[in-house]
Amino acid sequence: MSSPEDITRARQLKELEPLHEAWSNWTHARQSLEETLPLMQDPDPTMRTLASEEFTSLTHTLSTHISTTFPSLLVPPSSTRDLHALLELKAGVGGSEAALFLLDLLRVYVRYAGSVGWRTSIIQSSETESGGMRDAILEIKGEGAYDALRWESGVHRVQRVPATESSGRTHTSTVAVIVLPLSEDAESVSGNDELFKMEDVKVEVMRARGAGGQHVNKTESAVRLTHTPTGITVSMQDERSQHQNKRRAFQVLRARLMDVKLSQDIANRRATRRNLVRTADRSEKIRTYNYAQDRVTDHRIGLSLMNLTSFLEGDGVQDFLDALRRNWQEEIMEDVVGESE
Amino acid sequence: MRSDVTAVKQLFTGLVSSLGRETATRELKWMKQTLIASHSPTLPAMLQRRLSGEPLQYILGTTPFGPLDLLTRPPTLIPRPETEDWTLRLADMLTPTPLRPLTVLDLCTGTGCIPLLLCHLWPPGSTRAYGIDVSQDAIRLAADNAARCNIPSSQPSSLTPYSQNVFIPMLGDLRDPDVFKSLLPPFDIITANPPYIPKREYDELPVSVKDYEDPAALLGDLPDSEEQDGLSFYRLISQLLRQKGMLRDGSIVALEVGRAQADAVEGILQQSAGLRNTQVWKDPWNVKRVVLARA
Repeated sequence: MSSPEDITRARQLKELEPLHEAWSNWTHARQSLEETLPLMQDPDPTMRTLASEEFTSLTHTLSTHISTTFPSLLVPPSSTRDLHALLELKAGVGGSEAALFLLDLLRVYVRYAGSVGWRTSIIQSSETESGGMRDAILEIKGEGAYDALRWESGVHRVQRVPATESSGRTHTSTVAVIVLPLSEDAESVSGNDELFKMEDVKVEVMRARGAGGQHVNKTESAVRLTHTPTGITVSMQDERSQHQNKRRAFQVLRARLMDVKLSQDIANRRATRRNLVRTADRSEKIRTYNYAQDRVTDHRIGLSLMNLTSFLEGDGVQDFLDALRRNWQEEIMEDVVGESE
Repeated sequence: MRSDVTAVKQLFTGLVSSLGRETATRELKWMKQTLIASHSPTLPAMLQRRLSGEPLQYILGTTPFGPLDLLTRPPTLIPRPETEDWTLRLADMLTPTPLRPLTVLDLCTGTGCIPLLLCHLWPPGSTRAYGIDVSQDAIRLAADNAARCNIPSSQPSSLTPYSQNVFIPMLGDLRDPDVFKSLLPPFDIITANPPYIPKREYDELPVSVKDYEDPAALLGDLPDSEEQDGLSFYRLISQLLRQKGMLRDGSIVALEVGRAQADAVEGILQQSAGLRNTQVWKDPWNVKRVVLARA
């Protein structure tokens, strides 16, 4: 049996683990270094060589702690670390080619999530006749999914010769990605929590059914929600069950509202602090996939990966997620240091 | 395999022109999902059946009803979203407990959707439901659905206390005065989605309804009734409700009605069943759909 206090305490312990580990590694290395120093004067040349190698390795460990390990501990634990994610993808310019690339990107995220052990399901999609998708919403269930993927928000640009293009001309198309935070209880249809009040949500069923009831047995399960204060609307029609579509719609509405709330929090913090996290402008082009040059470039951090296939078919996306996380941590560290000055 | 693909394409094009692209695309997706789960019929066969007007729910064999996924078999009436909506609303309105259990009687139960949803949503041991239907097919389907929902469909022995909700489907005709002999009135809740379509409207129904679903579940005019307004069953039900001991103080009656029938049914309940305390619920499409009465 675990009480709420126990859970809080266990969480605190878990959060202190990295600090404890860094400190014990540091003290252990220092102690070893002190023990090594006298051995470097040892009359036995073999012993001296061993000691000298040990010295180099320990010095390296200690300086890594100073340059990387300790500063990274300054990054406060993320308040969104438990959240799952919803990925919204929308084909932008480029017509059917953009729809095909959307499918390529969707596969990248589904495979990446699978490799991390997260569960995915496509909760909404509209397929095009050419076999692509105009838009899709991917649910990714796994702790930390939102934190890991949130930097994928933005416009992804592809430059390639479309499979449908006979003249061999390179096209440029785009897909807009928005990563939304998803909490455990997001499917609840009841409201009145910090995100919204039930009375502010208008629930509509789509289309008229004429007489309805026994007169009609057509499947009409589409649902649309409108959150009046923000004007956010969510439509769901992929499930046969209206009940299920309603649950899904509330899930997306919650994710969008939480996203608005997080963006506001960041904006508020930015107003008081120095410019922290990068602009949340989702219309910004963040990445280019250039097929002719077999290259993926992230424009925010200037990182290029010279192997497009490894991105699309392998685990190349991990390199970008890691680099973006490091970049973000460095910004926060700078900010913390800046504040203490 | 090759010919399958061509056939699917052709049939799908047909479906698009009869249902519109958006609906046709979604239905194709649901058929494919069902195929993955079952393997039995082929996609061209499913599309062919749909194109001839067969309801999607009979082809797929199931329909969602609230959180439940119920079996659907011809000719038993397919549960409608309007019924789903008011049943969920009714379930929200009341909170039976094992200490204060409720007895439910559902008339014209069909697939058993209404009592099964109530049994599913209310706490275990709080609900004992009976479902009456004149059709042997419906009673069999209702029992199969109870099994599918893990709700026992036989009388538990009187020695063991109720730890589960129970739904008992029974064959019976509302015109038979002894239909409730074996049951244990009074009932706390009486629900019904009786046949309510008037004969002249029945003749105009879409193929998917008229050619596939049981006329006995749709036609609201009995052959021997004088009026042809589709309200025969409400008059029958009112007579039953008037019988001594059927209801207790505070019992609730919820009857689904067809478009433009709510006022008339409210009148019937007030006058011939003596239920003065009535109200009308609208469905999500803004049609007056349920007449609710409190004894």
